[in-house]
Amino acid sequence: MCRKKIIFILFYLIASAMFAQLDSIQQLNEVIITDSKLKDYSKGYKVDKLSKEESARSFSFTDLLRLNSSVYFKENGNGMVSSPSFRGTNASHTAVIWNGININSNFTGQTDFNVVSPVGYDDITIRSGGGGVQYGSGAIGGSIHMNNQFKFGEKNEKSRLHLAYASFQTPKIAADYSIQRETFFLHLNANFIQSENDYSYIGYDKKNEHGEFLRTGFSVNTAKKVGSNALIGLNSEVVYNDRNFSGSLNTIGKDGYEDYHTRNLFRFQKNYEKLRFTARAAHLFEQFKYFPNTESANYDQGLAHSFIANTEFEAYLNPEMKVQGKLEYTVIDAEGDNIGSHQRHTIAAVLLLNHNLNKKFTYGINLRQEFLNDFENPFLFAADARWSITENYQLRANLSRNYKIPTFNDLYWIAGGNLDLKPESSYQFEIGKNFRWGNFNLDIAGYLIKSKDMIKWVPINMSLWKPENLEQTENKGFEATLKYGKSLSQSVFLNLSSRYAYTDAKDLDKEKQLIYVPFHSWTNMISVTTTRFSGYLQYSYNGKVFTTTDNSSVVDGYNLLNLGIDYELSKMIKVGGMVKNIANTYYENVAYRPMPPRNFEFFITLNF
Amino acid sequence: MNKLNYSALLLICISLFFTSCSKDDDQGQEPVPTGQYANGILISNEGPFGSGSGTISFISYDFNTVEHNIYQNVNGSGIGNVVNAMGFSDTDAYIVANNSNLIRIANRYTFESKGSITSGLESPRHFVTANNDFGYVSNWGDPTDEEDDFIAVIDLNSQSVMATIPVTFGPERMVAHNNRVYVAHQGGYGHNHVISVIAGNELSNTITVGDAPQSMAIVGNNLFVLGTGKPSYTGDETAGTLTKIDLTTETVVERVDFEMSEHPENLTTDGTHLFYNLNGQVYKLAANSISDTPTPLFDGFFYRMEVRDNFLYATDAVDFASQGRLYVYDLTTNQKIEDLQMGIIPGGIYFNE
Repeated sequence: MCRKKIIFILFYLIASAMFAQLDSIQQLNEVIITDSKLKDYSKGYKVDKLSKEESARSFSFTDLLRLNSSVYFKENGNGMVSSPSFRGTNASHTAVIWNGININSNFTGQTDFNVVSPVGYDDITIRSGGGGVQYGSGAIGGSIHMNNQFKFGEKNEKSRLHLAYASFQTPKIAADYSIQRETFFLHLNANFIQSENDYSYIGYDKKNEHGEFLRTGFSVNTAKKVGSNALIGLNSEVVYNDRNFSGSLNTIGKDGYEDYHTRNLFRFQKNYEKLRFTARAAHLFEQFKYFPNTESANYDQGLAHSFIANTEFEAYLNPEMKVQGKLEYTVIDAEGDNIGSHQRHTIAAVLLLNHNLNKKFTYGINLRQEFLNDFENPFLFAADARWSITENYQLRANLSRNYKIPTFNDLYWIAGGNLDLKPESSYQFEIGKNFRWGNFNLDIAGYLIKSKDMIKWVPINMSLWKPENLEQTENKGFEATLKYGKSLSQSVFLNLSSRYAYTDAKDLDKEKQLIYVPFHSWTNMISVTTTRFSGYLQYSYNGKVFTTTDNSSVVDGYNLLNLGIDYELSKMIKVGGMVKNIANTYYENVAYRPMPPRNFEFFITLNF
Repeated sequence: MNKLNYSALLLICISLFFTSCSKDDDQGQEPVPTGQYANGILISNEGPFGSGSGTISFISYDFNTVEHNIYQNVNGSGIGNVVNAMGFSDTDAYIVANNSNLIRIANRYTFESKGSITSGLESPRHFVTANNDFGYVSNWGDPTDEEDDFIAVIDLNSQSVMATIPVTFGPERMVAHNNRVYVAHQGGYGHNHVISVIAGNELSNTITVGDAPQSMAIVGNNLFVLGTGKPSYTGDETAGTLTKIDLTTETVVERVDFEMSEHPENLTTDGTHLFYNLNGQVYKLAANSISDTPTPLFDGFFYRMEVRDNFLYATDAVDFASQGRLYVYDLTTNQKIEDLQMGIIPGGIYFNE
């Protein structure tokens, strides 16, 4: 209790002192990123930003991250529920952050990566390691960030239309429009994908039936400078998904899922010479309808409103030392057929510090304390550092305590919901190195994550399951990323990247590898780009995974090859295509759920 | 080694001689079952939910032979998803794969496949034969719809559904007696309190019992029904019940109520006693005086329980996501005498005489 008070007081002292002291004017940058924490307070973390080309090609977040990160996805059939495992952690231990706000479901504590669209963002970033202080519950293995940017400057107006058609009757459309002025910015995006998803199972006289899906989304990102040192901004999006859940080798798909999300984030930001003040108000809405039988009209539903308000001060204590203090109030109002109607109020106080000790050494200290929750509110901390030993050799390390709060389902599920649950608690440590020599860049990381009080549903008797703080896990792993880039001639560029991860994730009571966590994963890409043409080849290997907690059953590992080419017909028109699973390999990602055979996609992109 | 082979050979010779003799002498008697899976226990393992196949394990009565995955071993293909139960005719096993919506038929002693029933079922639960011509399958229909539950009548000769009998919601386990089938309506996703009586293709009677009739046992001409009662989370908790029904009149003749918070499970019988599981204990009770205080035998929280020849067989599904166990207790000493690894979620115990 005392500790909480001290943090609270400390926070206000720093914030108000800064505010009183400084009032001069500073010019805004041209590009304003919606989540500066990712850049400024993550120096000792591995932060990988996906290239826009990579994210613009994919309508599937699952596929995008599978090929561009070491996050493993357990996809319950192509396009169906897709749960991440980041460094071997479970599905609710990856936080998904939209413009700085955690959007994991209040019901399940996780994000299904097949209901979020990677289309319509300016950058998608993967931050490895604990981020509980900055991003709240669930940022244990790491976090995935979808960010929009506000751009100001020279008068500019752009439109983009991307049309694609893929195997299994899958049309995809994305349309963007943006307008930029000295003091105004607007970006609109609309996207749509629909698929019959009725591929044949290789080697079986069977098709993927009842696996149709549709997703459509619309977003508005707009900002206006007010005066010369203030800004108001709005990020807004709507996403709707309608899916039938497919059958498998020996089951018949009957159920279906509809979900609807709206996200609105309003911000006011004012810059002073050495201080920035930001106030945000956000509303998140999630609704799902689960149809046990899509032929009938019966469904179970749940909906949740999250209201978030925060104020944030960021100040330079001196040119090399920056602090950020944030006070956030959240009200979640959730109701569902299976949980009843409940509210949760949370106050979070967050303090972040980054200090460049000298040109070579930078470190950060981050603290978070929550208040009001009915359960034990953990004190979270993180410390990170980066040491540039030479220009081409960097060392980094971070240590953090993270958590995952019980979800509304865990607390209130009828029947079984357990009000005595406490948050899951996790400690993690990571050390990494980055080398550069010539055209090569090698990044290696080793980490240890120890989690306890993990919530597990266990049978109390024949008809009742109840969640308890039972499981303890230990994840140890190693990741290596090698990149190589070379100009073969003035207009021909060669890029290579190779990413390997070894993940040892154990249930400490059973002394067994956790289910659906591969020991080995390896993804590779080679691409050649000329003025008008670009081609790439992707190769990935997913190691075998266990499907039972005693490791008695497995899903075999598999190799996949994809090939793609783009050709620019003119400045305005680009066409291209890709072949996925070139070798027509039979593979399962989840047992008994065959994934698609060789399949094709063609696209045309118009820029005007 | 030689000695053993010799005695084994001798045994086989004697058996052959004996069986052929007895066959000649008693034309009307049933043949002695032959096949590698005769004379042992069959365990149906549900398998992982949603992805994977259920399996059948065989354990010889002397526990010396244990073979898993026997259907796959014999036929080269899996059964289906969520093997909920099995039922038997004199010659065949009927294996119900709930989530695959089908029944596999195999010779009960060799497990050679004899076909499948894939139509006319919807969320099938249990199977029982009334005689060698008709089988009955309890079906939930759409689990969220309480109005569409039914019993499918199977013509065992044509291996197809010949009739469906609409019944009240949540039909589960069944027992057959004198060509009549008694269906316990535990209640599916909700709770029911009815036993349906099926005769031929008709619903001939319904008998009201305590809430959530979970398991049944027949002793003599009486049917005992164990109701678990409604759990406390329903906000309308009811106590477990043990109901005795006279099968001649099909009326309730005695009913014992448990304490309000007591929700017993897994009723079974050795022919004179009843056994059930309650609050982590196995209890024993004389079938002819069910109002007596039951005797606690030993600790255990089991997924299923059956009794045969003074042994109690009980399964443990562990965490429902790994291989389960079969425990065998000797009822003379109440000691555990065997602990065997089974498949995933061992949910059915059957004796293949």
